[in-house]
Amino acid sequence: MELSDSRTIDAPREMVWQALLDKDVLKNAVPGCQEMSGSPEEGFEAVVVQKVGPVKATFKGAVTLEDMNEPESLTISGSGKGGAAGFAKGGAKVRLEDDNGQTVLHYDVEAKVGGKLAQLGSRIIDGFAKKMADQFFTNFQEALEGPAEQEPDAEVADGAETGEKKKGWFRRMVSS
Amino acid sequence: MHNFEFVKPGTVADAVAALKGDEAQALGGGQTLLPTMKQRLAAPETLVALSGVDEMKGICKDDEGRLCIGGGTTHAAVAADGSYPALSAMASHIGDPAVRNRGTIGGSLANNDPAACYPSAVLASGATVTTNTREIAADDYFQGMFSTALEEGEIITEVKFPIPEKANYQKFVQPASRFALVGVFVAKFADGVRVAITGASEEGVFRWTEAEEALSANFSPAALDSLSVSGEGMISDLHGTGAYRAHLIKVMTGRAVSAAA
Repeated sequence: MELSDSRTIDAPREMVWQALLDKDVLKNAVPGCQEMSGSPEEGFEAVVVQKVGPVKATFKGAVTLEDMNEPESLTISGSGKGGAAGFAKGGAKVRLEDDNGQTVLHYDVEAKVGGKLAQLGSRIIDGFAKKMADQFFTNFQEALEGPAEQEPDAEVADGAETGEKKKGWFRRMVSS
Repeated sequence: MHNFEFVKPGTVADAVAALKGDEAQALGGGQTLLPTMKQRLAAPETLVALSGVDEMKGICKDDEGRLCIGGGTTHAAVAADGSYPALSAMASHIGDPAVRNRGTIGGSLANNDPAACYPSAVLASGATVTTNTREIAADDYFQGMFSTALEEGEIITEVKFPIPEKANYQKFVQPASRFALVGVFVAKFADGVRVAITGASEEGVFRWTEAEEALSANFSPAALDSLSVSGEGMISDLHGTGAYRAHLIKVMTGRAVSAAA
């Protein structure tokens, strides 16, 4: 399964790059991630729980960051074993483009599954992988920009308090 | 299969209480869950069988003329009922006799397999899914493959179908499983036509709104002539590409309209 897409993130390229290397950002962005430890240099260990219909699998695996070309491009790859369910691995080539203070994030994702998951689930794997990739980058974007949808009331209250647009948690952290 | 606890409550209230336990899982007819557990792809600690809850079984009509089917009602019982002929015909072709005599409407809807038959009937009929806590309109219930509006531990107690003037379900079967490679449920009501497609999209069941508009103006297969469906976002597997499934949507919709008219 392969897919390519891009999205514009309202944050400077340097900040997007920092977020890509941040353990907590990755943990929040990987759908179903329960634990994430390690460092960008040595790689991360992750525990991911996924539920698709009746199937529930816990994947233990490694996430590595490679081909790092700061602040333009890198490859995020991960692979994990899900016990009886089989294994899953996937990678995303990410390219960051500066666009007047915003960042265009291009990604090419490749995903593979094996074992019983692949045997029994061939008709749903592509759709599921797309959904996961989309969720990952949506979560990532929200860490930098704040949630896409906000309660109108909450926004008004926030604006009155801070006098500015609500920021994503990663942006708040690095700019404070 | 891993070990698990088995409980069989007799009321909805007891079932809801039993599902509050850690890693508890509701069991309908077990036609999806049990094979999954045998493959060790799921290992719930407690199975809460809903088959002992008599208040969730049976078929009746309410004051508004809707067909009300208990969540624990088997496909075979719906097939035998006949008061919503297109729905009974659909139920009579799900899986095989074992699936039809064990599998339940509530189980099928809670699982929301992207190729299951029932979701298309519920969506095309504009049915209402009733749970132990609330009523959910079909348009709000289905949220992508294997995703529904149900909360953790929520049980489908009943599904209420308005009965259309005309309706038909056409399924292009995946011959091994009898799941829908593409299934189309067309329902014509006094105020318009609804068309729901299962088996085709990676997002699960969906309404084909262009066809609904065309058929609401002119309920005949010819109304579909100028329409086409893109293969984008359609399921591709060894049984058929996305483009093939997209093509089947139009063909099967035409057949359903012919059969219903």
